Amino acid sequence: MAAQDGLWYKDAVIYQVHVRAFYDSSGDGNGDFRGLAQKLDYLQELGVNTIWLMPFFPSPLRDDGYDIADYRSVNPTYGTLDDFKAFLQAAHQRGIRVIIEMVLNHTSDQHPWFQESRSSRNNPRRDWYVWSDTDTKYKGTRLIFLDTELSNWAWDPVSKQYYWHRFFSHQPDLNYDNPQVREEMWDIMKFWLQMGVDAFRLDAVPYLVEREGTNCENLPETHEIIKDLRARMDREFPGRMLLAEANQWPTDLRAYFGNGDEFHMAFHFPLMPRMFMGLKLEDRKPITEILKQTPEIPENCQWCLFLRNHDELTLEMVTDMERDYMYDEYAKDKAMRINLGIRRRLAPLLDNDRRRIELMNGLLMSLPGTPIIYYGDEIGMGDNVHLGDRHGVRTPMQWEGGWNGGFSAADPETLYSPLMLNPVYGFQAINVQSQKRFEHSLLSWMKRLIRIRKATPVLGRGSIQFLYPANHRVLAYTRKLGNETILAVNNLSSKAQAVELDLKEYRGNILVEMFGRNIFPRIGDVPYLLTLGPYQFFWFRLRRI
Amino acid sequence: MPEESILSDGFVRELMNVGDVDIVVGVPTYNDARSVGQVVQAVRAGLLKHFPRERSVIINADGGSRDGTQDMVRAAAISDLSLVSDVHALRTLHSISTQYEGGPANGIAMHTILAATDLLQARTCAIVSPESTTLEPDWMERLLRPVLRDGNDLVLPIYRRPKFDGLLIRNLVFPMANVLYGCPVREPYPSDFAFSGELGSNFLGQDIWNQEQGRLGTELWMTLWAAIGKRKLVQSFLGTKTRREDAPSDLVAAMRETAGTLFTSLDAYTSIWHSTPETVIAPCIGCEPAISDGPSRLNRKRLYDMFTFGVKELDPVFLSILTTPTHDELKRLAELPEEKFTYSEELWARTVYEFAISFHKTVIGRDHIVQALVPLFRGRAHTFLTQNRDASAEEMERNLEILCKAFEQEKPHLIDRWDGGK
Repeated sequence: MAAQDGLWYKDAVIYQVHVRAFYDSSGDGNGDFRGLAQKLDYLQELGVNTIWLMPFFPSPLRDDGYDIADYRSVNPTYGTLDDFKAFLQAAHQRGIRVIIEMVLNHTSDQHPWFQESRSSRNNPRRDWYVWSDTDTKYKGTRLIFLDTELSNWAWDPVSKQYYWHRFFSHQPDLNYDNPQVREEMWDIMKFWLQMGVDAFRLDAVPYLVEREGTNCENLPETHEIIKDLRARMDREFPGRMLLAEANQWPTDLRAYFGNGDEFHMAFHFPLMPRMFMGLKLEDRKPITEILKQTPEIPENCQWCLFLRNHDELTLEMVTDMERDYMYDEYAKDKAMRINLGIRRRLAPLLDNDRRRIELMNGLLMSLPGTPIIYYGDEIGMGDNVHLGDRHGVRTPMQWEGGWNGGFSAADPETLYSPLMLNPVYGFQAINVQSQKRFEHSLLSWMKRLIRIRKATPVLGRGSIQFLYPANHRVLAYTRKLGNETILAVNNLSSKAQAVELDLKEYRGNILVEMFGRNIFPRIGDVPYLLTLGPYQFFWFRLRRI
Repeated sequence: MPEESILSDGFVRELMNVGDVDIVVGVPTYNDARSVGQVVQAVRAGLLKHFPRERSVIINADGGSRDGTQDMVRAAAISDLSLVSDVHALRTLHSISTQYEGGPANGIAMHTILAATDLLQARTCAIVSPESTTLEPDWMERLLRPVLRDGNDLVLPIYRRPKFDGLLIRNLVFPMANVLYGCPVREPYPSDFAFSGELGSNFLGQDIWNQEQGRLGTELWMTLWAAIGKRKLVQSFLGTKTRREDAPSDLVAAMRETAGTLFTSLDAYTSIWHSTPETVIAPCIGCEPAISDGPSRLNRKRLYDMFTFGVKELDPVFLSILTTPTHDELKRLAELPEEKFTYSEELWARTVYEFAISFHKTVIGRDHIVQALVPLFRGRAHTFLTQNRDASAEEMERNLEILCKAFEQEKPHLIDRWDGGK
């Protein structure tokens, strides 16, 4: 797509989808690019304007595609490179941009590079990975996959040395001290950029470089690599975007924006669990506190916000006490826990409570950042914690109440994953077709929400100012851009609340509620009194007439 | 509704912003600027450490302090606790300071806190004294957990006190509460304690708030009320409690709060103490030796002098209060030199009961009766100090039992004369 607006990502509403999980056009039990292309009308109707695709490259799929075995091709299960191109073109025709994954940090151990690298210590690709005679280097480095890995080093019986891996042992880390590796990865990015992809989500970026005596995260050398990639991309492909996956504290994350010359966007990982925490505690404190700690970012940068994604609800960026609380409140059943997180989807996390689902989506769309919707959450899909790893949140999209939920014509036994079947979240209860029929379904509501969000640039680009009313169960803030001001008031409580807002600054303005366009009383000299039902939220446009 | 008249509009507004809570911690104050900040900080740290998930509010009910007490409370409520202790709040810890009308009076402060607790539907309420400078964050757990976890109604404190602290409690309140109401708790007139929200609402609903008990000695009345109502009582060992060095010491006021409340209660609960009340079971959680060594600030010679002076000066008053044998015995005592002076347990018990009877019959102004007991108590305190000067904790316990037995033995004397003539 033409890059008319270099800051397009600030106005984006992103839809995260796994090709395999969305729609199977071939009847083999796996979603594919042709299927995804067929469902673009649905996404257009939903209102999203950007799609983020999870890895679709050839892979042994031991980490759901994040273990890539060939960066320049498409996993045959999902189709061909031509299928991808056709999908990309169809998306662009609908005004939908496409973000793809770029796993820079590691490859699959089945990647030909690693196979060559391990074949002998003298192989020219030996130095493409990080090898050592001992497993004692980089002692200060934490273990990420606590449930499955014992060390960041794995023994290779072929070449009889240890290799470095920050994630699964079947995902050896690339050696970014080797200039050849850097050139090769840029070549791969160019390959996709030339094809027309609009952006990359760069996976696991803090871990690219290792240095003794450090925790091997967020090192200056890593930032140099990112800067170099960004400069090349800006030069050759202006208007494209880099999105960082760096599960770090805001202050550490800030560095990944550089001076506006590293990433365009980064996920705000610490905010997400605190939104759930604030909701359960019925207290705005966790949310305002983390946003207070969030540093300013360069003008051309943006946070990426999400409620749920393909991974666990990560609890790495919370205190021990907060983690215990989250486990007790959101994952009482230990089967729901994995690594340092909770493997559940949005609707089950919120007890399938429509009011809470709406409130959380309202926060997602009104806090500063670009929102991401995880596929299926727009209809309230459930999860299956018994499927192992994080597969329970990656079950097939539920299109209708018939055969395989409309996902595939294959025999149910051949699907890549069982469908949700229970009476609450099963495809017969929760599906697109049934929700399309009703104006008040969650899907219809989400469409309205997205439409309002897209029609309100201040929500994507405006500044934020918290109001801190005395009632701590109410989270209120204004978003401002130029002359436009939006007031968002959210009741985090399960009970009705009265709140007095200090809106002196806006005296004389009339509040216009943005969903119903109803007029509320003019702001005067006294505190503005609002009452909110349980989990209710208001968005008001301030009009000076 | 009582709470409608006790809570100001501004205070209700603040309560509205707090919303329903699990825990209320009430801090009644009056000119406590020197210590209240430290107490509030310790309360906050305790709540954050032990009850991070519960919704909590600290409510300061102030009786019109002029020394900046409320400012100290507000400052302590927003200070950064992470600087003094390793605690992090999950949720907002609310803190409100309000000034009540008609003060200063601890009972009105208590009424205010009870009304707020009721409105906020708290599961439990703890009251802490602004003078409790030895209050540690763990006290919050020791006070609140027995209600929240174990379903107790009233949690009374046990402190490790200097040997001769709390003489009025030991010589008057404890034996009377024990013998007449079957309430053998060590601190029946607590300054740091907790109760369930349900019991709090029950307190609030009683018709005492326009009476003297609703102003003075209210905490003692609450203990007696809970004991009489067969509520689930428990005693929790908190730790060391010492008086603030500069704390005012007004024995007359203390006598009004204790003896006054006890004597008034005898009127209200005659049928209870006329019978043999079933002893309340009030187990102790985490109890440790409750006496610590330390210098006594009491001057025995002065106590003796004030006793003998009082007996002579107030003779006409004592004649109208006491029976002749008791009166004569006291006069004889007042003639003895200090080294031979002993105010026996039996005589003390009889004296107290006769004061109670006179209070009941209002033979003279009730306040005069209570005040007249002060010099006699000083005599009894002299004997208590003498008896226990070198006593171990066990020996002091035994002496306390002897005193209680004396109150028990003299109880028929109280019953006989309650409705009879002098």
